[in-house]
Amino acid sequence: MSRSEIRIAGAGGQGVVTAGRILAEAAILSGKTATHSQVYGPQSRGGASRSDVVIDTAEIGFPLAYNLDLLIILSDEAYTKYRPELDDDTRMIVDRDCAPDSTPGSATIFPVVATARSVSGGVLATGVVALGVLQQVADFIDADTLRQAVGARVPAKFKAMNLDALEAGMGLVGATT
Amino acid sequence: MAEAQLVQGNEACALGAVAAGCNFYGGYPITPSSGIAEQMVRFLPGADGVFVQMEDEIASLAAVIGASLAGSKAMTATSGPGFSLMQEHIGYAVMAEVPCVIVNVMRGGPSTGMPTSPSQGDMMQARWGTHGDHSAIVLAPSSVGEVYELTVRAFNLAERFRTPVIVVYDEIVGHTRESVVLPDALEITDRVRAEGDPEEFRPKAITPNGVPPQAAFGDGYRFHVTGLAHDERGFPTEDSQVAGALLTRLHSKVDDHEDEIVDVETFMIDDADLAIFAYGIVGRSAREAVMEARASGIKAGLIRPRTVWPFPAEHIARAAEQVDTIIVAEMNLGQMIGEVERAAQGQAEIVGHLRADGEPMTPAHLLALITNVEADRKQP
Repeated sequence: MSRSEIRIAGAGGQGVVTAGRILAEAAILSGKTATHSQVYGPQSRGGASRSDVVIDTAEIGFPLAYNLDLLIILSDEAYTKYRPELDDDTRMIVDRDCAPDSTPGSATIFPVVATARSVSGGVLATGVVALGVLQQVADFIDADTLRQAVGARVPAKFKAMNLDALEAGMGLVGATT
Repeated sequence: MAEAQLVQGNEACALGAVAAGCNFYGGYPITPSSGIAEQMVRFLPGADGVFVQMEDEIASLAAVIGASLAGSKAMTATSGPGFSLMQEHIGYAVMAEVPCVIVNVMRGGPSTGMPTSPSQGDMMQARWGTHGDHSAIVLAPSSVGEVYELTVRAFNLAERFRTPVIVVYDEIVGHTRESVVLPDALEITDRVRAEGDPEEFRPKAITPNGVPPQAAFGDGYRFHVTGLAHDERGFPTEDSQVAGALLTRLHSKVDDHEDEIVDVETFMIDDADLAIFAYGIVGRSAREAVMEARASGIKAGLIRPRTVWPFPAEHIARAAEQVDTIIVAEMNLGQMIGEVERAAQGQAEIVGHLRADGEPMTPAHLLALITNVEADRKQP
């Protein structure tokens, strides 16, 4: 594997930043190198949130994502902002509730936010559900390493819930939605 | 060996400072540097250290200078607007020869500018921001791992030369998390302390290496500290010979030891036709662009200073004899490019790629630039 770039874009409170850190930490646990960046500007106060993760088997040169391999969209605002920036090579995963009719056929649609709600009663685990989807659709990271990274990052009292969210995300792939 | 971990740039700065022996932080929070203070306030109280949030950046550096005079290894961190406020006391620390470390996580300016956007707009302020003739030691890390390494080095150089040392990096380096393996062992330098009869003590004695041994308040040595020109006892003087000798010594204690300080990464420069000069985060884009240019048959090379001041003029002069063109890429409208032109002395064409809009320079930008410059070089 050479350089891979993943963006998780959604709304504040969906655990998008935590999910990015977990993905990067899982990559490091697998012996790869990784970077994680997030948005700090005024947009981070306005409800939007974003995590970019770069994973490589070699040392990473430029640490920011600039040629995405995979974009996960978890809010309407994120769709409006990041969809137009994509080139044709980028794989796109869109949450069912924010996928407009015009969503291209190449995108994959999953009920990520709805799954987070059903697992946790809220949206905080959305990012972790998205990681489960990502693990199944792309070969960035193996499932056990991702479970380990989730367990290490989230507070102890939310560990079981987050692991459930991760499994639920993995379960979405291949299931009929 | 330690394991790889995901660390943010500002966190690496704090970890490096503590590893270097820093036991005093005085600061005032400002984006994008606040992460350093956030970590130091966690680390220091449990490590017999002191963290003080001061009322502003002027007071912050004053507190740091006071702590250092009392024997601490002391630092502060800030960004552009706060760095402006610190300039007066940077000069004071130079004149009074107070070791300390000032970290400036650069954001868009002038004034409050763009708080969360990267910039390299303070390169000349780091060199000449404070008034008067003075030397400067300024380090420019380009990655999280290098932030750690060069923060340690900044403390070592400050202690070695009894002078303030400045570390500059931009918002991207400060806020990005990267996998790093922190070293198990470090080389740590401590200031030479005063010894001997307190009655004979001269706080600004002229010594062979130009750096006087330093007493801390409380060591039993009486001494006077001033920003005025002063004699060997530390008391103000208007004697032109004494003042002139002081200024000359303050310069030469740094400038005569450039070989010890200057640190430049060169990459694929030996057979290069064109070189790119870049530092900080731009240096990393440039390195990738050089590799991609090489893959397409262009003989490109990289010059990346990790110390920007003293300026690595000899490295530039050598490169200018080798290459036809030096591209200077920096996130400002032209600061280090003037130094590169001066050092190249007309031996190579200098092309600027200057940008101050808060957007990073990606490897793709710089590769396109290299490709264009190479086309021009072949068809003059």
